[in-house]
Amino acid sequence: MDFLYDIIRHSAQNLVQAGALPDSFKFAFVINSLLCALIIGPMLGAIGTAVVAKRMAFFSNAIGHSALTGIAIGIMLGEPVNSPYISLFSFAILFAIFLNFSKNKSGMSHDTLIGVFLSASLAIGAALMMFATKDINIHILDGYMFGSILTASNSDINLLLAVAILAIGAGIYGFNRTIMSGLNPALAQVRGVPVLIYDYIFVILIALITVASVKIVGSILVEALLIIPAAAARNITRSLKSFVILSVVFATISAVTGIVVPMEFKIPIPSGGAIIICATIIFILTLLVKIVRRN
Amino acid sequence: MANGVNIKVENLSLSFGKNEVLQNINFEAKAGEIHCVIGPNGGGKTTFAKSLLGQTYHNGKITFEWIEKRGIVGYVPQIINIDKTLPVNVLDFIALCIQKRPAFLGVDKKFKKQVDETLDKLEMKNKSKYLFSELSGGERQRVLFAQALIPNPQLLILDEPMNSVDKSGAEVFSRIIDGLKQNGATVIWIHHDLEQVQKIADKVSCINKTVVFSGEPKSVMNEKNLLKIFSSRQGE
Repeated sequence: MDFLYDIIRHSAQNLVQAGALPDSFKFAFVINSLLCALIIGPMLGAIGTAVVAKRMAFFSNAIGHSALTGIAIGIMLGEPVNSPYISLFSFAILFAIFLNFSKNKSGMSHDTLIGVFLSASLAIGAALMMFATKDINIHILDGYMFGSILTASNSDINLLLAVAILAIGAGIYGFNRTIMSGLNPALAQVRGVPVLIYDYIFVILIALITVASVKIVGSILVEALLIIPAAAARNITRSLKSFVILSVVFATISAVTGIVVPMEFKIPIPSGGAIIICATIIFILTLLVKIVRRN
Repeated sequence: MANGVNIKVENLSLSFGKNEVLQNINFEAKAGEIHCVIGPNGGGKTTFAKSLLGQTYHNGKITFEWIEKRGIVGYVPQIINIDKTLPVNVLDFIALCIQKRPAFLGVDKKFKKQVDETLDKLEMKNKSKYLFSELSGGERQRVLFAQALIPNPQLLILDEPMNSVDKSGAEVFSRIIDGLKQNGATVIWIHHDLEQVQKIADKVSCINKTVVFSGEPKSVMNEKNLLKIFSSRQGE
């Protein structure tokens, strides 16, 4: 795939020289981050519709926050500071499975249980960071928390692409079953859906796409890009088809705009923050449309 | 006669913690038969239906003897909680229930004709683009009923679908269910309207933790037995 990325980067540089693209597009890291955005947008936008339909916004928030602990563990175990993926993925997946298991078995209200797990994960992450950052510059971690366009490499794009193919494939195959399991488990079971298995597959999928998007959007904000575009689409649509399409469009616009605008206008804010601000502006616009329609 | 199923339930018992919900239930339903289940609220009717659907951990034995090959099971739940703000319209909901192809790509071609016909029969075709949240209680029940009819079920289990359905809706339901019966399907119908039960049921069983009475409506739905239902407390 590196060859393909090289072609894209060279083409962008040629377009810059021809005056068709702004100067900043000649830098490899800009193209890398834009490629990441073009993968993250459709992926989070599409899966976000199922997250919203299954009322799992708070759950994905907890997974996003757990990434911080995964990063700290990875750094402590000697993984590369810029890509502690083994610990990051392992911890997020185990966290998601354990949280889902506790939710299913304890009978506790979801928001209470998720609140406990979210706070505990943040607390453990903060504590471990104290040890993990003894030998590194703590500001490197800012990128993980709020996103950064500076560090996206070819291997990050490859990882995102692999997760996106898996997520979108699984999402298309299991869309109806996943939604039905959330709406009425008894009805889903009658239709032959193994509800519990789909439940676990879905939370693992959320963990995978959350962790894969952490570098660009940030662990604190990645959940917002799952939720806000879908919530914005929900404001103005009257069918599942337009819900999914608009959510993908809004997420992609937010991801690309959040990277390009701060760079072009030299606004010193992290990419994650900019992406979520764009998504929020779209949400507010759709909310206004909804209010006008209702009145 | 088309495919149907004979169901035999032997000594079915089920508890939630210390609460014994069902106790030594013995029950039989035959193919081509409408078997209504009546009983007081909290008497275990819904739990019984879920046991038939294989969704409970219970003691006892439930046997399904299909006349031909294993057929399709349709289920109409009592209610469905759909987030009011979720953009799921009637066609989306049915597509979610009946097909593997993602519902956002529309109703699968192989089901389209049957979906249209079923919605038409249930007088819901003109509301197929309405959001689920915009429907009245009775209309939602019609949609829940519609999904259970696609594809044609050989065993249909209905959990009090008539709660919010008006008189004309009730007649439509009865007519369609009678058609299924004529085709040999087995229908287990949890019902609260005793007058309707007397009209439509081939067999009726009253469940209040255990089977209080069972048989043909004419012979078992007498004053003495009905008094037993309404004079007893829940689960007694």
